[in-house]
Amino acid sequence: MDKEIVDFALDCAREKKVEYAEVRGQSQVQDGLMLRNGVMEAYVSAVDSGFCVRVIANGGIGFASTNKWTKEEARRVVNMAHKYAEAARRKEKLVFSKEKGVKTKWIVDQKKKIENVSPEEKISTLTEVNKDLASSKVKIPATMTSCSTNLIAKYFVNSEGSRITSYVPRIGVFIFITVAEQGKTEQAYEQFGYSGGWEAFSKWKVSEKIVHDAKVLKDVITKAKTVKPGNMDLVCGPEVAGIAAHESCGHPMEADRILGREMSQAGRSFIYKGGPYWIGKRIGSKAVTVVDDPTVDHSYGYYEYDDEGVKAKRRFLYKEGLINEFLQNRESAAKLGVKSNGSSRSINYDREAIVRMANTFVLPGELTEKELIEDVKNGVYMKSFTEWNIDDKRFNQRYVGREAYMIENGELTYPVARPVIETTTQKFWTAVDAVSKKVEYAAATCGKGDPAQGVPVYTGGPCLRLREVFVK
Amino acid sequence: MTDMLSKTEEIMKKAKTLGADHVITRTTVGKYRQVRFSNSQVDITVAWNDYTTDVALAWKKRLVATQIHGFKNVDTKIKQLLKLAKISQENPMFGGFAQGSFRYPKSKADRKLESLERPADHVFEAIEAAEKEAGRKVDSGGILFTKFEDVYIASSEGPVGVDSRSAIELSIRAFSEREASGHGVECCSNLKDFKPARAGAKAGEIAKMARSPKLGDEGVYDIIFDPLIHGSLLGVWGGMASAYSVLLQMSVFVDRIGKKVAPETVSLRDNPAAYSMSNRVFDDEGVPAKENTFVDCGVLKTYLHNASTAKMFKTKTTGNAGLVAPTPWSIEMDAGEMSKDELFEDVKEGLYLTNTWYTRFQNSAKGDFSTIPRDGIFLIRNGEIKQSLKDLRISDNVLTMLGNIAAVSKERQHVHWWGEADPPSLAPFILIKNVHITKSR
Repeated sequence: MDKEIVDFALDCAREKKVEYAEVRGQSQVQDGLMLRNGVMEAYVSAVDSGFCVRVIANGGIGFASTNKWTKEEARRVVNMAHKYAEAARRKEKLVFSKEKGVKTKWIVDQKKKIENVSPEEKISTLTEVNKDLASSKVKIPATMTSCSTNLIAKYFVNSEGSRITSYVPRIGVFIFITVAEQGKTEQAYEQFGYSGGWEAFSKWKVSEKIVHDAKVLKDVITKAKTVKPGNMDLVCGPEVAGIAAHESCGHPMEADRILGREMSQAGRSFIYKGGPYWIGKRIGSKAVTVVDDPTVDHSYGYYEYDDEGVKAKRRFLYKEGLINEFLQNRESAAKLGVKSNGSSRSINYDREAIVRMANTFVLPGELTEKELIEDVKNGVYMKSFTEWNIDDKRFNQRYVGREAYMIENGELTYPVARPVIETTTQKFWTAVDAVSKKVEYAAATCGKGDPAQGVPVYTGGPCLRLREVFVK
Repeated sequence: MTDMLSKTEEIMKKAKTLGADHVITRTTVGKYRQVRFSNSQVDITVAWNDYTTDVALAWKKRLVATQIHGFKNVDTKIKQLLKLAKISQENPMFGGFAQGSFRYPKSKADRKLESLERPADHVFEAIEAAEKEAGRKVDSGGILFTKFEDVYIASSEGPVGVDSRSAIELSIRAFSEREASGHGVECCSNLKDFKPARAGAKAGEIAKMARSPKLGDEGVYDIIFDPLIHGSLLGVWGGMASAYSVLLQMSVFVDRIGKKVAPETVSLRDNPAAYSMSNRVFDDEGVPAKENTFVDCGVLKTYLHNASTAKMFKTKTTGNAGLVAPTPWSIEMDAGEMSKDELFEDVKEGLYLTNTWYTRFQNSAKGDFSTIPRDGIFLIRNGEIKQSLKDLRISDNVLTMLGNIAAVSKERQHVHWWGEADPPSLAPFILIKNVHITKSR
């Protein structure tokens, strides 16, 4: 990355008649390896580096990017961004919320630097996971294992005096398995993510988790019974709590979605001005507080400053069951008359920064998981999920259990095959009467934007106990 | 142009000289433009340029890849890549890259899409068409996207070629009420055939019909799928036809070659033809891209292959190569004999679905999935649309639905939107019987 070109591009933009200008240089040193059935398919190693220019001119926004690092190209890209901004012909002129210019540098530390981890070590670490799966005594006809490391350097400057340099090493692992027994199959995947060094592997317990999944799938095929559909209590494990927090709290609380900017692709929100749900309205029980927090150390969605140079902080989205605070970038914040809360993220230099989640999770309560279950006479414990989805206003969702058990008189009695909860956001969060005290996170890739920008996030929470919901 | 090809070839030759067994280099000079709009106004116009050479090489069945930008540091990059190959692991199943010398047809890409003047004008045209259908208060959002790529490929196994690929797409979603919307798309490879008003009019028409939706009921329905939602299904079926999906058991087509997977009226092809947004004259190994019928009159005929998977399955590449996984380019379902109106007349009590999103699987090998229809959802009674509905979900199975296709329309539309109807497809209206619908409780 050539910081001089970034500064030069900003100077070029300032020469134009613009209300605002920013330039973001980004370099990503990426390694990716993939194994199929324990055999190496391919190892990809590349550096992706470029910069983008975003300007506001005449109330319109123009954005242009390139991976050609020359001054001539920088000028061309600035001209293009400026031309497109002016051509917007907007009735309602766009402005950004007023934020302080920031000069700073931040990095994520690593105990074992990814830069010093050899390709051989990466390959052998993944191979070991596959060996553990092979010796699990479960018939696994297909596996796919991938690992990616990404060393992300950014240099952000804007016309308000911000100069922010950052460096984030990020590591992700994805494993997909198919288990076959008695002529039937079941499938599962696990995703792991971390901002930091190779020490992530020792924290994750990859083999332990995926071997556990394999055994669970075998049990689903050979031992599990289906649920008799009806109203019952449902205990959701942290993985299920996390996906619900992400899908039916994080997404509908994105201010750009609320304002309609994603209306064609990712959709709008059940929350809108003049509608039944807005800040201060009840969406869940008092036991429910959901936050989005980019500052969780070494989390997959970690950052200190967002991609508009605004300081990151914890956002209380649903607070004790009330709709509390939207996720904002500078564009949405200005429209709603508030400040940005640092929720603007971009996946690369060639994508505009838009409102995104970071790490979205339910805050813990007082009970242990055991205490939560003890108080259930008849219900299901859905520890993890397989199929899931939610409508584009983020109100009608469905989670299908992967690892699940029947609860009878406070005891887990037998495995349950694919129990389903299909319900509304309000019913789901209102049914929560208690949450346990231990929060666990899961890594995920959140999709939004056009072109699609998959950003690394954590989802998470403690166990949730829902009373009298329909499970089938 | 020849200069770019020469430089691309030089990198390939350099890698060969330095010890690689097989090498493919591919340079892409891409110009992409996008206008994003919402609430009937332009939010941002985006331009991104890409100058990249992808290098894939194999050394003793070890496959590695990298990217080179601006033809800089070629020696160092290739040496690093070979070093990586030498410490990597052998893949006994690697079957090499495709061999042969090929003559490619001349690309029909439209150079007008290289630098479109006033792209926002197409957006305004679509918005106006939506307003004409559904009234001035309609709220429209979406994207206009253009692509122009020059692609240069050189393979140590013979293929050398130049291609240009162009596309233009307008995707518009119009809201006539908070919960009444319609989605229209216009997808082309050239500017001449591109009519953004068609997409706007369709979005507006559906949005108008979708007013005052009622909560729908769970049940089993005969359903007419509009080309746009059918495009989502075709994307799923096409993806499952990739030999790589089959190898990973992420496909319902495992062990079904030669078997009936759909009624005789159903034929499915992959065809990156000149009209398609995915137009191309060769794949990522330099094999001429061609039409491949993978379901012929209801029978699964082939998977989609690159050279390596073809070797595993003891067949020939179908020209669908990506580096590791073969991929469908552009799916077509053959047109049927009934008109769209006749399809509707066939439905006594059923649904007409226009779009969907968020398709997720419990088990891709088995095919159990659900997806959430959005935009217009309509109750059909005695062939006529009677009521706009909302908040329903398809919860069914891929093979069951394929098997229950009862009718296919003559009319077809080239569709694509976001990742939901991807890759692009040429989709008729279809009638599928006995589809399971669920909803929130």
